[in-house]
Amino acid sequence: MGAEHVSILDGDLQDQQVAGYQSALGVTRTTTVTLPGIQTQSGFKFDTVDVNFLTLGKLSPARDNAILVCHGLSGNAHVAGSDPQTGRPGWWDLHVGPGKAIDTDKFYVIASNTLGGCSGTTGPGSINPRTGKPFGMTFPRVTIRDMVRVQAALLDHLGIEKLFAVVGASMGGMQALAWAVDWPARTRICIPIATCTAHSAMQIAFNEVGRRAITADPDWNGGEYSESCFPSHGLAVARMVGHVTYLSELAMTRKFGRRRQANATDGNQFSVESYLDHQGSSFVKRFDPNSYLYLTRALDEFDLFGNTAPTEVLRGMQVRFLVISFSSDWLYPPAQSRELVRQLKRAGIAVTYLNLETDYGHDSFLIENPPFAHVLGNFLNGGHAHKPNPAGAAVLGEGI
Amino acid sequence: MNQGVYETVAQWIPEKSRVLDLGTGDGAFLERLIQGRRVVGEGVEKDAALVGRCVERGLVVHQGDIADGLDQYADGTFDFVLLLGTFQELLEPAEIIHEAFRVGRQIIVSYSNFAHYRVRLQLLFWGRTPLTRSLPAPWYRTRNLHFLSVADFETFCRDEAFEATRQAFFSGGHRIQYLPNLRAETAVCLLHSTGPAKR
Repeated sequence: MGAEHVSILDGDLQDQQVAGYQSALGVTRTTTVTLPGIQTQSGFKFDTVDVNFLTLGKLSPARDNAILVCHGLSGNAHVAGSDPQTGRPGWWDLHVGPGKAIDTDKFYVIASNTLGGCSGTTGPGSINPRTGKPFGMTFPRVTIRDMVRVQAALLDHLGIEKLFAVVGASMGGMQALAWAVDWPARTRICIPIATCTAHSAMQIAFNEVGRRAITADPDWNGGEYSESCFPSHGLAVARMVGHVTYLSELAMTRKFGRRRQANATDGNQFSVESYLDHQGSSFVKRFDPNSYLYLTRALDEFDLFGNTAPTEVLRGMQVRFLVISFSSDWLYPPAQSRELVRQLKRAGIAVTYLNLETDYGHDSFLIENPPFAHVLGNFLNGGHAHKPNPAGAAVLGEGI
Repeated sequence: MNQGVYETVAQWIPEKSRVLDLGTGDGAFLERLIQGRRVVGEGVEKDAALVGRCVERGLVVHQGDIADGLDQYADGTFDFVLLLGTFQELLEPAEIIHEAFRVGRQIIVSYSNFAHYRVRLQLLFWGRTPLTRSLPAPWYRTRNLHFLSVADFETFCRDEAFEATRQAFFSGGHRIQYLPNLRAETAVCLLHSTGPAKR
């Protein structure tokens, strides 16, 4: 499958053409459905919400094999398969498909674009039905929990009462955690990857740099921009900062070192500059600057336990967890995952935890990563899901 | 490690106990306890590849060292904490055992006996660091940090206020009844805490 061509250093699958890479799923198409509205945590009432989503595989007659995959900040519903327009593989095509870690031969995989996003689901770029104009910065503040609320509405629409698993990395990992806490009866297994229960000052700081790059671009114009007057410089800079935090020093040294780009326009650009420039300009073509502001704000505001003791929040929960972090991830450091694991275990919940040794930083979940795929696949396919014998189950009553 | 040790430990653990296996390796023994003794068990293992094997077996496992693993759990989560084969590799064995008594009521620990007669003879006659079945690695490659004997362990228990309520000694596959400090290669014992350490 041309795995040797796929490297984290080339960025997300969706921002590149990978030579020789063919998705085993062929072309996959997302669809958009209009669902009954929700009330946000901030009190705003949407009359209706559009949700762009993709399903892969077959739902079992018992409707018990559904896996919800939650995307990160820059992802979308097109999780796997080739895009009908661009031909590019979905953002997690390496790990979702027939025979892959999330096996579409066994599971019914659902992925949806998040509330506040810009790939078909209601977000700041959507038309406000009350004014006939795009929401822009009049879009209400949305939270990770609002996003999950909309995902739950999508499951209602699809007729799925209980998820076999909810899986997500980074922002998607926060959503997975919110699923377990807000909808424990609808969640069998929760797999948060490279994530945390609340952003640290450093994580907020990086997001603020990205937001400031956008809002300081004169073309942002208070969020009221057009195609001809678009804050592309600001958004590109935000993405460049983001990409630096998704990688690691070692990964960047290996890929770029101090090499120069031979055919760059100014002839003397460092390779890493050219790479970031490419990442920035590809992102501008597919992402909405206001969405970036709203989603990063939702990330920063997320606090799974808030002022409540974790044991209070988690009491009686029957959800099983697989928590994964990556040793070289300095944006979501393993210590945050370990603290989450500690909170879960001390509440008597069965958790399997791995801190995988990888060199590729936060983006380690996006790349060809056999140990990661192995653990994820074995956990989902293996006996764990069917063996009711973790300590938590004994403490709290029966297992699943 | 010695098969006899595993057989003995399996017999000491009542059915349906809650068990934490520290240094669980590939999870084979924990899986056996779960299947054979219907225990509710979890493992702690440092090596990622071995943790991967545990996940394959469908075990609940935590990747981390023993101290980190213990720190994850609330007081009194387990009936038994197992420390099989790694005791002499622990930097601070007393602290680990005290912490294990926080999360579990009883501890089962096994260790290699450094006062076995072959060890004594090798030191006495050749003047070299002994190499035996239970101490197979040369001094520069062994993971053992401490070299203790059955007699040393008894003193350790007295000083740290642990009581060994059951003990078993092995040489190869055979159980040793008499003169364990001289004849046993491996010892395994079931510990209870009898109060604060006398230090």
